[in-house]
Order: sequence, then structure tokens, then C-alpha cells
Amino acid sequence: MAQPIIEFKHVAKQYDDTVVLKSVDLEIEAGKFYTLLGPSGSGKTTILRLIAGFLEASSGDILFEGERINDVPAEKRRVNTVFQNYALFPNMNVFENVAFGMSIKGKPKNEIKAKVAEMLELVKLGGYEDREISELSGGQQQRVAIARALANDPEVLLLDEPLSALDYKLRKDMQYELREIQKRLGITFIFVTHDQEEALAMSDWIFVTNEGEIVQNGTPVDIYDEPINHFVADFIGESNIVPGVMREDYLVSFAGKEFENVDGGMRPNEQVEVVLRPEDLDLVAEEDGKLVVTIDDQSFRGDYYEITAHDDDQNEWQVQATNPAVIGERRGLYFDPEDIHIMRLNESEEDFDARLEQYDDSEEDEEGADEQ
Amino acid sequence: MDNKPKKWSYIYLVFVFILMYAPIFYLIFYSFNKGDYMNGFDGFSLRHYQDMFADTRLMEILVNTFIVALLSSVLATLIGTFGALGIYNTKHRTTKNLLLSLNNVLMVSPDVIVGASFLIFFTMIGMSLGFGSVVLSHIAFSIPIVVLMVLPRLNEMNPALIDAARDLGASNYQVLSRVVLPYAWPGILAGFFMAITYSLDDFAVTFFVTGNGFSTLSVEIYSRARQGIDLSINALSALMFLLSLLLVIVYYFISNYSVKSSKKKRGGAAGMVVHQ
Repeated sequence: MAQPIIEFKHVAKQYDDTVVLKSVDLEIEAGKFYTLLGPSGSGKTTILRLIAGFLEASSGDILFEGERINDVPAEKRRVNTVFQNYALFPNMNVFENVAFGMSIKGKPKNEIKAKVAEMLELVKLGGYEDREISELSGGQQQRVAIARALANDPEVLLLDEPLSALDYKLRKDMQYELREIQKRLGITFIFVTHDQEEALAMSDWIFVTNEGEIVQNGTPVDIYDEPINHFVADFIGESNIVPGVMREDYLVSFAGKEFENVDGGMRPNEQVEVVLRPEDLDLVAEEDGKLVVTIDDQSFRGDYYEITAHDDDQNEWQVQATNPAVIGERRGLYFDPEDIHIMRLNESEEDFDARLEQYDDSEEDEEGADEQ
Repeated sequence: MDNKPKKWSYIYLVFVFILMYAPIFYLIFYSFNKGDYMNGFDGFSLRHYQDMFADTRLMEILVNTFIVALLSSVLATLIGTFGALGIYNTKHRTTKNLLLSLNNVLMVSPDVIVGASFLIFFTMIGMSLGFGSVVLSHIAFSIPIVVLMVLPRLNEMNPALIDAARDLGASNYQVLSRVVLPYAWPGILAGFFMAITYSLDDFAVTFFVTGNGFSTLSVEIYSRARQGIDLSINALSALMFLLSLLLVIVYYFISNYSVKSSKKKRGGAAGMVVHQ
């Protein structure tokens, strides 16, 4: 494997008695789009500011291309930041803002001019050089902030919730554009957000943070399909989480019934949590369902109906359906074995990965045996 | 119906302004008097102005006053701005409040006390009273004013601007010269002009620390007024009034210019910044 561009080794951060980051390890590879995802106060911005050099780690090592950079000041690090509230210099116009980093470095005038024009073109603001910051809309200021950071040719671009102040439509557009810019330039992006939809749409790799720790990391699909614990399942997307018991491999019991599933590697009769995503559930006729539920409520969401229902054990179920349901009606709930995801209680990320690998392997072996 | 309260507030405002400006205009009016007293206008004449300009001692004092004002306010602005930066950068909250309170105490403490303490201080260290002691004491009482003008402007600044500048490679000095000082400039300017006006009209402190042979206008006018009213003082007051009016206008245009220049003229200035 190539050497990671940024590496955290047991990095912790605390203010007096308040611990904001507990021993974080992470590796960032060059050229990918990473997202730090978590609720406010989970430590994601702290991680970003540690990389940028605005904060000093209380303990642990931060490595950049294999070299320890804990003591390198922010202005000497080859990373640049796009700030949450843009932080454009109000006493300078667009050109001066974008040129700031280069003029500090004393680059020749014509080189700066060409680079500024190129960067503004990249963020689709060509010809805006002479505009004042106060004349720009929020979205345009955002673009200037991105151009200003990229004009410094950083190895890593850090983005601190840059889209949170934009309206929904603009945010969506910027998501695509950021992704496109990242692919075009081929540099590493580290994006901080509390918006799980944004994280899933943009990232190659997601770190989910909570209470000063990285609770899970993986591709968007992995994290959505195989959440490690209650927090991740609940935070990423909508989830139905019900208590259950793992009878044996590939057989789980919940809501008073036993169901075939695809998870294994647990002790027999182990207490677990069962996750079913609302979009994986189908409402069918009462006799065709694996569970029987009573419809409580529904709300129209444009592209689907969100229906809440409860089963006979009083577990709540959320279902996303394209067709409306009748409130108070009894319906069947249908799902496939692979829609069921099992979470062990208090499982560490390492154990979780090891277990997934183990039974993935055994499945492959079985398939191999079938073929022979 | 709606107009009524508005009309009353208008009348009130006009009344207050008349009350405040009437003595000044009364003084100016009689500076053009032909006679020697303010108890009857005998006709228009500029002879008091002639007297005033012929009085070399008075003219010398006028020049002195302005030298003291300019010198002390420039230095006080310099020191006060860095003081404000110091307070702004103080992380510890109690220390910050303590520094700010110490600054404010200097603002509110009576001039007589400040003047007397300076007198004691200067005599104790054996410094001769005169131009030096006046300038020093003016600098001292102007610093808190500058701090009070600059600090709110700094507090208004988005602290992420400093992070952003450092992120883009600026050293501490460059952060200060390129981002913080330009941002605080209107506050610094206001502090400078406030310091000038405070220095120009200070009487109490100056009265204590002027020695023999050196005097500023306010002290001189006071000592002359004690000997009997001379209408050349009226002429001087008229002149001072015009000068302060000019000062206000200059301040107005400078502060307006700095707002406008950041709106329009920056296109041309862009090359300048890059050039540095």
C-alpha cells in the first residue's frame, strides 16, 4: 500500500478537563475524497483543525507524508482550508482574495494573474476579479473561498462544513461541483459535515465520529449497509432498530418470530440489535407479510410516503412506500433475508471488520465448493 | 395625527441644539464687535482679529498647541492600537477584563487627579516641566481613548480571518499588516481624531504639567480670562471653532473615502498589493 498522506497516531485533544478527542487513529490516502461525518461536538472539526495546524494535539503524532508535523505552524503546512463562514477578507476584492497566498509567497505578478483567472474559471466565476466580496451572493463567496484555497496548490484541501449556509438546491449543485473539482485536480479532499446525505453522495471514504472518537470508517455503501452500532445506524439514514436474539448463524429472532438472514459469527442466543432500512420494507397483503403491522400515520414526502406502523409486539416500524396506505389498516410487512442487518452490542470496529471478513470468506468458500 | 409626536421631538431637538450652540455663537458674534466689551454691539470690525494675529505670543501658543495635539495623538494611536491588539489577543478572560477595566478607569478618572498625579510623578523623577511633560501626559490620557475606539472594531472581526490568512501562508507580521490592521483602520482613524480633539481642548491635565514659558491655548485663555475679558480671545475662539469644524469635515471625508475605496477603487489597487 502507498504511504498515507496524512496519518493520526493516537491523537488526543483536551482543554483543561474537557476531552474533545480520545486517541484517534486514521489514515488518509492521497487523491481521495474523505468525509468526517458526525453530530456537532463529535470532534470532526477538531480533527480538521489539527490537520490544518490551528490546534495543537495534547498527545499523539500527526504525520504528513510520513513526517511528524505536530510542531509545524499552519502557514508552513501544505494544506489549505475552506472555512465554514468563508472567511474572505472583506477589505480585498475577489482578485486580491484569491491572490493572497501567492502574493505572500512573492510570486511574479503575471503568474499570479494567470493562476487567479484559472482558479476563478475552475469555480465558474471567470471574470469576477474586480468584484467586491460584499457584492457576491453566499454561493459565489463560497466559490471564491474554494478558489482562494486551491490557488495555493495544496496537497490536501480541508473543507469545514462549507455548504451548510447554502440553500438546498445550491448545496446539491455544489456537491456535484466539489466532487468534480476533486476528480479533476486529483488532490485529497477532507470534508467535514453533519449532513449524512452530503457525506454519502460525495465521499470515497467516510469517517463517522461521535463523542471524540471515530466509531466507524468505510465506503458510503459499507457504512450505510453495515452500520457497526446503534449510533451509526441511527445517524446515517433512517433506520428501524429492534432488539433481537441471534439463534444461530443465519437465523435471527425478533418481534416474536424467527427469520433467515445473512449474518453470522456470533455466539448462539446472543442479544443483538436488528436494523431494517425503511426503503427495504414493503407493505403487502396481511397474509403475504413476514410481520403484521397496523398503520399509525403517514406523511407525503414528494417522491415517497413515509409511513409509521407498529407490530403486535409494539415495535415501531418506518416504511417508505410509493403508494399511500390507509391509517388503522392491518398490513403485512415483507423484507428479504439480506435486508436484515445485525449489530452486536459494544462491538469494536476491529472485531466487527474481522467478523465480516471471516464470514465473507466462509461464504466464498462455500460458493467455491459449489462450483467444483 | 402621526406627525404630532414627530413634530414635538423635532422642536425638542432644535431647542437642545440652540441651547448648546448659543454661547459659542454669542462669543463669535462679539468677536466682530467694534467696541471692547460684550455688553453692546457697536458695529462690525475685524480689529480683534488683527490684535490676535499681531499677538506673537498667542500665535506661538497656537502652533504649540497643534504640535502637541498632533504629536501626542500620533504616538497615542500607535501605542493604543497595539494595546488594543494586546487586549484582543489575551486569551485568559479574567486578565482580559482586568486590562480593559484598568483602561476604562483611566478614561473616567477626573482630569484633576490625573494632572496632579502627573505633576507629582514628573517632579519626583526630576523632569523639567514644559513641552515634553505636556506631550507625555497627553499621550497618556489619549491611549485609553484609542484603545476604546479600536477594540470594538477588532472584536467585530471574524476570528476565522486570522486563521485563513495563516492558512494561506501569512506570517504573524503579514497577518497583522495585511488583514488585521486594514480591518481595524476605521477604528484607528476614529481613535486618532478623538485623541486630537481631547488633546486640543484639555485644560486640567495641561494646567498641572505646563511649566514656565510653555503653554497651550486652553491654559492661556484661562489665565487671560482671569485678567479681564479681551475680545481677541473671542476672535481666537471663533478661529478654533472653525478649525474643529474643519477637523470634523476632514474626518467625515476620510472615513467616507475608506468605505468607498473598498467598494470602487480597489480594482486599481489590486495590482498594488500584488506588487509588494
